[in-house]
Amino acid sequence: MPLSSILYLIVLLPVTLAAAGYFLPQKRYHVLMGLTNLTVSMLAIMLFYVVRGAGPLEHLMAGWPEGIAIRLVADSLSAPLVMLGALFCTGTLLFSTRADYLDKTFIFLFMSLESALLGIFLSADLFNIYVLIELSMLIIAILIMYKQDKQSVYDAMLYLMMNFIAMAFMLLGLGFIYRITGVLDLDMMQERIAMLESPRAVMLPFAMIMTAIALKAAMFPLFSWLPRAHGAPSAPAIVSAVLSGVQVKTGVYLLIRVSHVFASQLDASTFFLVLGFITSVIGFLLAICQKDIKLILAYHTVSQMGLIVMGINLGTETAFYGGLYHIINHALFKGLLFLTAGTIIESYHRRSYAEIRGVMRTMPAIGIGTLAGMLGITGAPFFNGSISKYFISDGLQGDWGGMAMFIINLGTTLSFVKYSVVLFGKPAIKLSVPRDPWVACVSLIFGAACLLGGLFGGPAVQWLFGPSLRAAGALSLQKLAGFGVTLGIAVLAYLYIVSRIGTVLTRVRTNRFTFNQLTVMLTIFFMILLAFLWLYGSDADPVFIDAILPRP
Amino acid sequence: MAFITSLGISDLAIALFFIGLFGAMTQRNIMKTIMSVGIMDMGAILYFAMSNLPKNARPPIKGTPVEVMADPVPQALMITAIVIGVSVIAMCLAMYMRVAYRYRTAEWSILTSRVEK
Repeated sequence: MPLSSILYLIVLLPVTLAAAGYFLPQKRYHVLMGLTNLTVSMLAIMLFYVVRGAGPLEHLMAGWPEGIAIRLVADSLSAPLVMLGALFCTGTLLFSTRADYLDKTFIFLFMSLESALLGIFLSADLFNIYVLIELSMLIIAILIMYKQDKQSVYDAMLYLMMNFIAMAFMLLGLGFIYRITGVLDLDMMQERIAMLESPRAVMLPFAMIMTAIALKAAMFPLFSWLPRAHGAPSAPAIVSAVLSGVQVKTGVYLLIRVSHVFASQLDASTFFLVLGFITSVIGFLLAICQKDIKLILAYHTVSQMGLIVMGINLGTETAFYGGLYHIINHALFKGLLFLTAGTIIESYHRRSYAEIRGVMRTMPAIGIGTLAGMLGITGAPFFNGSISKYFISDGLQGDWGGMAMFIINLGTTLSFVKYSVVLFGKPAIKLSVPRDPWVACVSLIFGAACLLGGLFGGPAVQWLFGPSLRAAGALSLQKLAGFGVTLGIAVLAYLYIVSRIGTVLTRVRTNRFTFNQLTVMLTIFFMILLAFLWLYGSDADPVFIDAILPRP
Repeated sequence: MAFITSLGISDLAIALFFIGLFGAMTQRNIMKTIMSVGIMDMGAILYFAMSNLPKNARPPIKGTPVEVMADPVPQALMITAIVIGVSVIAMCLAMYMRVAYRYRTAEWSILTSRVEK
């Protein structure tokens, strides 16, 4: 058995074992799936070290020649993400060991979703990626409405239809690109696109595929599906965690991959840089308006996705790796926050941040986990968010760049000052919280990972992606003072502004767009992207991405 | 007239896609938007299936000489895409049924206002 069949195993093991073991009784099925997840994590770690040591590993399916065969490939971009995905799914499944929603159907859907997500990271064939995205979309729609209460079916329907329209765009774009290049394999496509004389030929397919990917990566104005999916009241905690931790990252991952394929002809990085900033600002503004703690977190995912996309498109190497590192960090702290928020909601039976008090006292482990996650996301010193934000801000030179970073930091800190009130004070109602060692352990492990990722920021980036960057500047006196000032302004702004404009917040919160309006937004986005490409798109490409994604 | 006669099935497919998109943007009835989305998907599939298809090409079935055979890759891929499209549409319809029973409406704007705050 060649070493490259490990790629097969990672994609197929979760879903095949979940299907094959379905006849087992509930308890044993659960144990089997836990073991499967551990095995997949081991394989993913092994894969990561193989790719680290010996370079990209690829596998041509069914023995067909290159270009025709569906290819699986792990390189230094996808291997860390596969490792993240596998470990994350294992952690979340362990977290919910004693949860009551964990029946067989749920576990089966969860494992299928894991397979689909790992497959998206490993596949090097655009049509295969399309199929896997559609698969994950269907599974997520079922998981969103899993408990079928309140408006969950409406949320799931809107999610499914918005995503389906975006995938139709992608399919038409794939048709165009297949007509032009005759292949769907990413490397071959890249070679053939580089041979084209004019970028005009691939402009339309690029815009179509990018519209779909921008919706997947929750860019402004296409993010309105995300809070419905991630903050859905009826979705269990681990679904929200996996969606925010891994699934939304597939969008960013494809953004890097596909723009690299087209890089010899088209460059939309300025467009996505500006878009990332707008997304980030709109994300935290909407987060400030929310009351439901899961929705606060969901809108923050939008904001952080904007930050990641900014980092990736800034055009300097440090900022690019900062963006990649922020993908990992965001998965850790947002996953942790969603898991703890789910547990908090289950024990308090309340969803509004205003009605929850004293988590630190009633559930210390969950409280510490939440605190670690919050410190991570706000970029507090010694926590992982500070490192990646420091790297990203390295690319933002000048007054405007510093200002942009400050605004994003302030907004994030402001809404987490608001969120932090759930931790302290005295609980208004008497609670009987059952002790659950799995929940406590996993939240403490995730919290510790947030802290370690901050303490060893530079080495962590080097271990994960390769380049050695100096992270010492993240602990400079200037940065510490900057964090203190931001925190101070955020607390003041919360006390004197946010808590006094309740009516405005309510109006923003209850404003909902209909499906038709969302489709119009998607079309406008597509047209603006096309116009941008037509006017400014045909520039040279940034060179540093070649370091992580070598040219064929 | 010359313009119309010069149009091929691929052009028709693109037109179909954008008709579907127009429907999804303008129709207020939920049922009609689901149909529009389906039409969009079919337009994309039709366009893809028509790629690399020379005139007088024959279906890629065993026994067809290679010179006149149509490109088999799009055909194989589009069967997958059709299956996916059908299942997504079926799921949308099932969800619509639940939503329609619960909120007693077939319009997006009324539905959006009736959903619990």
